[in-house]
Amino acid sequence: MSAQASGVRAVRAYLSSRGRARTGVVDRYTSAFGLLMFVAVAGRPVTEMFAGLAGPVDPARSGAGMALLALGLAAFLAAARAAGPVLLPSSDASWLLLSPLNRRQVLARSARLLALVALAAGVLLGVMLVAVLGAPDELVWRVLGALVAGVSATVGGMALAVLGQASQTWQVWLTCAIGVLLALALVAVTGQLRTVAAIAAGAPLPALTAAMSGAALFSGLLVRQAWTALDRIPTRKLLASSTRAGHVASAATMLDPGVLTWIAEDNHWRARKLTSRRWPSLPGPFALAWHDWRRLARRRGRLAAMAGTAALPAVLAQAGGPPAALGAAVLAGALAVASLSTSGARRDADNPALARLAGVGPRQALAARAVLPGLLAGAWAALALTGLALTSGPLTAETATALDGTGVWWLFGPLAAPALAAAALRMARRDPVDHSMPVLDTPSGPVPTGPLFWAATGPDLALLGCLPTAVALVLQPAAPAPFLVAQGVLSVVVLAGYLWRARTGGRAR
Amino acid sequence: MYDSIIGVTALTVDLGGNPVLRDLDLTVEPGEIVAVVGPNGSGKSTLLRCLAGLQPVTSGEVRVFGRPPADDAGFWSRVALLGDEPAWYPGLTAREHLELMGAVHGRARMPVEAALETFALVERADAPPLNLSTGQRQRLCLASALLRPSTLLLLDEPERGLDENFRNRLTGLLGEYADEGGTVVMATHDQGLAAVGRRFVPTGVSA
Repeated sequence: MSAQASGVRAVRAYLSSRGRARTGVVDRYTSAFGLLMFVAVAGRPVTEMFAGLAGPVDPARSGAGMALLALGLAAFLAAARAAGPVLLPSSDASWLLLSPLNRRQVLARSARLLALVALAAGVLLGVMLVAVLGAPDELVWRVLGALVAGVSATVGGMALAVLGQASQTWQVWLTCAIGVLLALALVAVTGQLRTVAAIAAGAPLPALTAAMSGAALFSGLLVRQAWTALDRIPTRKLLASSTRAGHVASAATMLDPGVLTWIAEDNHWRARKLTSRRWPSLPGPFALAWHDWRRLARRRGRLAAMAGTAALPAVLAQAGGPPAALGAAVLAGALAVASLSTSGARRDADNPALARLAGVGPRQALAARAVLPGLLAGAWAALALTGLALTSGPLTAETATALDGTGVWWLFGPLAAPALAAAALRMARRDPVDHSMPVLDTPSGPVPTGPLFWAATGPDLALLGCLPTAVALVLQPAAPAPFLVAQGVLSVVVLAGYLWRARTGGRAR
Repeated sequence: MYDSIIGVTALTVDLGGNPVLRDLDLTVEPGEIVAVVGPNGSGKSTLLRCLAGLQPVTSGEVRVFGRPPADDAGFWSRVALLGDEPAWYPGLTAREHLELMGAVHGRARMPVEAALETFALVERADAPPLNLSTGQRQRLCLASALLRPSTLLLLDEPERGLDENFRNRLTGLLGEYADEGGTVVMATHDQGLAAVGRRFVPTGVSA
């Protein structure tokens, strides 16, 4: 092992000596100073935030909060499973994986990164746990306990996902864990777990210590198993999660988030058995856009999950989310739903060869392709807003019914739909991350602007196009009719403007 | 109106400061098949990209259907270009890709069933293209390009991944396309395919 391990070190040292400049003493000093400054600046608000958590919370809210926590952890596990989770940059996958080098050493860097991601997610989960359960006494110990619980859950979950990559048996356990978490969320949202939450929030310290030690020990055992299993992950699975034929060229320099979603999409269809169905006779642009409809019809599970997630803003409202968070949840959710049905536009922007063969004008094609995301986003937002109006959140049924007796908040959904469709298409057609953009030096470390601009392309248009809805959701005016009219007009203007600006040959920004 | 489908005059293209094409002249009449031949790096693909309007020219003039090629719907409704393998639409089968091509153009040169038969894809018609072999995917590309109606066919190494039998069959298919009045310009290394039409060497040196 030692010869092979030193081999991996030698290869990594060679690669880094040929790559970017090594970090010097000044770089390390800058990083350490930046970190200290960050602690000094952020320390007080963080302490105040934790101090604010002291005291019991409203038991009516804890059920919804628990449900959100369980859903968050389930989503974390599902994301880890979808990503691999052990994956390598494609250059490493091509050059180091298919070599006699020690497999565990090759994967060690990726494993450390996964551990860091799990740790960060765990801390977030822990803080949310304290916020949900509250801390009637012994604040420090309860916060510590919650952090240990959160980190144990995410680190253990990540280890489980790695084990799942190595063996089918563990994969089944991972699926079971996700299923249990989803069931738990369902039970929690009905308020059945309030007693459990109350007991957990008020548990005596010895019991808390014992429970947390048990959780940490269990998580540690899983991590140990996963570390041993790194050797046993089949090469084909690592290659499948790292690179895919057809994506190698575009993923050659950096792992691009856009490329990763194609890998997941192509993997899904490679494993499916399809039956061809006759293509409907539609005008050219709509015949082209029909692809998205057919693809969605073949992923009914995803459609059902989409409908299910429309309840999330209502759950968030029950957990005591502020109006701004509720508005953001509705708009972000509707945009996410819309962007699930734009794969045709995305593929043509990535590679316009088929679009050229089809010979449909880009504007007409985009207009036809805006119909499905618009419908989905409109329906989802209408459902989510109805859910909000029906729960005891800020958008109460009383507020809504006071307007005209029926409640009009759901109308924001269909009225915002065209703007959301334009934003989803903009997101689908954005360029890959531009790594040549400048890196900003901030006190808390360098911030690359390329990924930031990439992430903001699409959501920016959604925010602009849905401004009346966003403002109405935050302000909750007594008469939302002017906001509804403004939203309708703005939506049409945004979609028309986006289509008007669409250019031939793929991408439009 | 225009006399010739393609008219290239004194075309020069530099890529990264290197001259790829120099003072090239080419005229292609309707119904003609032109095989652009030459060693690697002689500018075959660059010439095709110029004809498709995808490569800015350094100097000279390129006219397709009597005017400079434009990357717009009107142009692509008459021109079928087949270069590198396209990115297939996710969730569609091989047959559905062909049906989509026919549906978008309103009419097709041949029924989808006949295309599947001709391009030996009947047994793999329900497979997603990514599950096909390299040669089968190339046949699907060719089927998509030949199924849709077009006036000009631009093919970059259409023989890529094809077995000997199918290369021979492709020669016949291109002949049929030209007999119907279509024009073909293809870059190729295959001697059999090159023999079906007029040979043209971009460097000006006879092969």
